[in-house]
Parts: sequence; C-alpha cells; structure tokens
Amino acid sequence: MNGASAARTVALIEDLGFTDVVSIPDGESRHLHRALLESPEIEVYSPTREGEGIALAAGLWVGGRKPFIILQNTGLMEAGDALRGCGIGPSIPLLLLVGWRGYPGAMSGALPVDSAFPYTEPLIRAWELPHRRLMSDDDLGVIGEMAAVAEGTSKPAAVVYGYGFTP
Amino acid sequence: MLRVLAARRTDEVVITTMTATLQWPLVSSHPLDFDFLAFGMGHASDFGLGLALARPERKVVVLKGDGGLLMSLGSLVTMGRYGPPNLLVLLLENRSYEMTGGQPIAPKADFVALARAAGIDKVERIEDLGAFERELPSLLTEPGPRFVVLPVINSEPLPPVAHTDHTERVVRLRRGLGISPP
Repeated sequence: MNGASAARTVALIEDLGFTDVVSIPDGESRHLHRALLESPEIEVYSPTREGEGIALAAGLWVGGRKPFIILQNTGLMEAGDALRGCGIGPSIPLLLLVGWRGYPGAMSGALPVDSAFPYTEPLIRAWELPHRRLMSDDDLGVIGEMAAVAEGTSKPAAVVYGYGFTP
Repeated sequence: MLRVLAARRTDEVVITTMTATLQWPLVSSHPLDFDFLAFGMGHASDFGLGLALARPERKVVVLKGDGGLLMSLGSLVTMGRYGPPNLLVLLLENRSYEMTGGQPIAPKADFVALARAAGIDKVERIEDLGAFERELPSLLTEPGPRFVVLPVINSEPLPPVAHTDHTERVVRLRRGLGISPP
C-alpha cells in the first residue's frame, strides 16, 4: 500500500460535484492539497484549526455549496464540538476525509506507536459517523459511497486514509 | 443597539450567538435570522464566513461576543484571508462571559488591534449608540469584510433560553435563502 493518487482523487471530487474543499494540510495530504489548488473547479480554504473549518464548511453548505473537508485525525479530535454542533446536530451532510496519522507506523510494527493511531476509528464510531477506509486507488470508490451516505442520511460521514497521497 | 440594527435591517442574514440569541428575538422575527447557539463554541463567525462566501449577493451580519471570539481567535486570520465583501462581524464587547454569569475575560485584550493584525483591513471601534446609528447604513451597504467592535452594557434582564431544534433552524434559513431541501 502506498496511498491513493492525488490527481485521481481530485478528478473524483470534481466529478462528484464538490464545489469547495476546506483543508488544513498535513504531511500525508500535501500532494492532494497541491492538486486541489490547481483545480479550476474547486475553491480551497485553509482555516487555522479544524473546528473552525467544520463551521466554515457548514456555512458553505447552508448557503447552497457542496463542501468537502480534509483534516488529520488529530484535527478531528480537536474539532469534536464543531462536528457535533455544525454537522451531526443540525443534520448537515459534511463529508470528512480524515488522515490516519500513525497508521503506517503501526502497520509496520514500528515503535513507539503514535498515540493518535489507536483512537481514530473508535472516535469515529463514537460519533456514529459511517466511514470507510481509503488505502490505495483501488478504494477510491469509497469517496462516492460515503458522499451518498452523507447526503442520504443528512449527517456527516467519513473516509479515513492511511497512507497519504501520491502525486 | 439591537433595536437600531433591527430597525435598519432589510434582507441581510443575521447570525446571533450566546447572549445575542436571547436578545435578538425580542426585536426581530425574520426568516433570515439564524440562532447559532449550541452550534459550536466560538464558531459563529466561521459559519458566517462560509455562508457569506456561498451567497455573495447577500449581506451576512454576525453578532458575537468577545468571550466567543477568544474561543476561536484564529477565526480573525481566516476572515482576514478569505473574508468576502458581504461579511460584517459586530463584536459585542462586554469583557465577560455574560451568558454563564458574567465571569470576566481578559481585561486588556485589544480586539481592534487583534483584528487588524490578523489582516482584516476594515476594522473600527464604535463607542456609543449615536455613532452606531449614524454609521449603520454604511456598515450594511459598503463592501467589507468589516469587523466592528461595539462596547456594550446589558441594561435589561436576559430572557430564558428557549431555542428551536437545530435542524429546523437550518431548514428555515435555507428556505429563507431560496434553497430547496436536500
């Protein structure tokens, strides 16, 4: 596994009709972030923290746009109140692309295990967010699947990526 | 101050949070009023920024307190970077967490200086109600983004909290904006 292609992921995000991406870059998403900035169809916003980003995305959606959120698992931990208040509570179908910091190291048996690793999926389950894993181009279909789940349930849903993105 | 704003307001979205959510309904009942209470601590202006970006034809006014701003100070930087011309943030400065009992906040924080340092070009402080009344027409019509600090003292008892369902608030606002249900 070496992650999904940033170019293919951006093309998919465009095909799914997303209009805006709210993204706080991290090491694993840097290629994706760069590819998004080159997209003529997508506006990219980088707020200062993830809770701020979720509220910004909620405002975009309420105003009629279709936002997509990229954040690391650590940012999801920071953004819990915003996710509750601006996504789950008011039934706003936000799609979160969550970077799983610590996953590659844990899978390779490297020590110490990043403390962000073990809490990621339990946290997502605690929020009752439907989610799928994205580990390579073979999994790219989960983005459309989770987008449909978010829209169908009017609730946030998540795609968790474990290996970052290749250019 | 809220009465002055309500009297002048026409088709602007007005987003309120914390104490303003209790007071604004006393002076306004409008399809484009949006009660942000319990949507996310400190994030009313972030939500307002997103809404203003999505609806550039519509003025978006955010009424938030200084205590709430301190919960998301980075919002100022994001507003400085992305704030569109149709965004107006009115910061109600009372130096306390009024809704939770009036606990004091940082007494020396200079919100005008913070907003300017964050990259927001149109920042001002309006000291009294007469000046606010005189400046309000331009605040509502001239392009921003604008960040206005308003020192306030609450002279009336707060009504009890009685808020509507979160989802219903969103549905109502989208309906007011002419957006069909998803």
